Amino acid sequence: MKTSKGPFAIIIVSILLGIILALQFKTVSKTVGEGILPTQRAQQLAIELKKVQEERDAALKALNEAENKIAQYERGEADNNVYVENLYNDLEKYRALAGYVDLQGPGVIIEIQDPPVDVQYGIEYSIVDDIDLILQTISVLNAAQAEAISINDQRYTAYTEIVRAGDHIEVNGVSINSPIVIKAIGDPETLESALSIKRGIVWTLRFYDYTVNLVKDDNIIIPKYRKLIEFVYSQPVEDQVK
Amino acid sequence: MKINRANLAVFSLSIILGIILAVQIKQKVPQMIPVTLKSIENTKNEINTLNKEIEELKVMIQDKEEKIRIYESIVDGDENIVDLLKDELNKNKAVAGFETVKGPGIIVRMEDNMDENAFGQSLDLDLIHDADVLRIINDLRVAGAEAISINEQRVLSISEIKCGGPVIRINGKSVGVPIYIKAIGDPQLLSAAINAPNTYGYALKTIDQIVIETSVEDEIIIPAYSGMFEFKYAKPVKEGD
Repeated sequence: MKTSKGPFAIIIVSILLGIILALQFKTVSKTVGEGILPTQRAQQLAIELKKVQEERDAALKALNEAENKIAQYERGEADNNVYVENLYNDLEKYRALAGYVDLQGPGVIIEIQDPPVDVQYGIEYSIVDDIDLILQTISVLNAAQAEAISINDQRYTAYTEIVRAGDHIEVNGVSINSPIVIKAIGDPETLESALSIKRGIVWTLRFYDYTVNLVKDDNIIIPKYRKLIEFVYSQPVEDQVK
Repeated sequence: MKINRANLAVFSLSIILGIILAVQIKQKVPQMIPVTLKSIENTKNEINTLNKEIEELKVMIQDKEEKIRIYESIVDGDENIVDLLKDELNKNKAVAGFETVKGPGIIVRMEDNMDENAFGQSLDLDLIHDADVLRIINDLRVAGAEAISINEQRVLSISEIKCGGPVIRINGKSVGVPIYIKAIGDPQLLSAAINAPNTYGYALKTIDQIVIETSVEDEIIIPAYSGMFEFKYAKPVKEGD
């Protein structure tokens, strides 16, 4: 029998096709789950997501109620006694510094939007790839004496980490995505000029094709930090000299 | 001029097409996004992060409820409000960084690449920049650092880290190379955050050849924030209404 090249090629191609199909099926069933259509799974997940979001909102509400109750107790005692009142005011100041108090005041709002997709070359990148630019923006705000900063309503504290996780960013363990909105309380004039100085951070962001909106605002509200910081490794050192 | 019937037909049809198109666009058809494996994976991730957030919130709520119980016992005379407030004050002072702390951790030493023919010399890549320090600090925070200082300057949420000519400015003070970053926390995690492959510190060390040395210490002392700080613009949000 004469074997021509034609059937042989078809055999090889068929084998390859089989392997590719098997791979594809395996990947799909691994992420979606056995015996479920992707659309069904997506619906299930959407319902689950909603449930979890409601649970989070409920937890937030419970936390706020508890905090209000504590504030009532503390303020109630403070009204009776000048010494306690001073102590309470001091406490509130350090709480605000640690990030555990909602703050409001004048300042600036910066909105950073991802650059439009390059139509000619199809180059696509996002602020997710440029975490340093967010870090630098915050550093510039601090250099201009910002008193409180938030990123997409997550308070920036001394423990705040900004991590890339897939195609989004996690700040304080909460996932956020573009557009990034950074709010800062402080002197609006100083903050604005520090940001928009020539070859400054806004210039750099625009240079990389990000759309940046910088506005001054008289009343910015920056929410409090919602994570409990408890030192496991650190111990206080008594001051030798007062 | 003679009006052609065919032209008229095309003209009127064009107008009708325009109207239909406009109507179609005006109608807000809900955007249909095809279900892809990626979108399923993303939703899964989102649920995971939300669950983590809820756990953190629960820890916080527990702490607050504990406090409420203590405050309620004031009425019985078991506790003294002054002691409680002082206790709270000390805790918040420590968290805010206004107290000197000690504990196990690592010291990172960073120095410019002094090689005459360093990689990227023309682009200043052989020097340490504020962005590099910011990334290192961020990585340390991810690894759970409890307190961080740069050349004895405590790094807080209000600390700026900015290049100012030949020095780096932090907390309004100038800091030159070599830079010593101290961090208290789990020493192994912290040192992995700087040295493990694929971290920013590793890239700085291997690609830009900047000197980064870490040493694990049993006891590091990190000073309190030395400046004065008063809120001038920010006020607490009033409750109620």
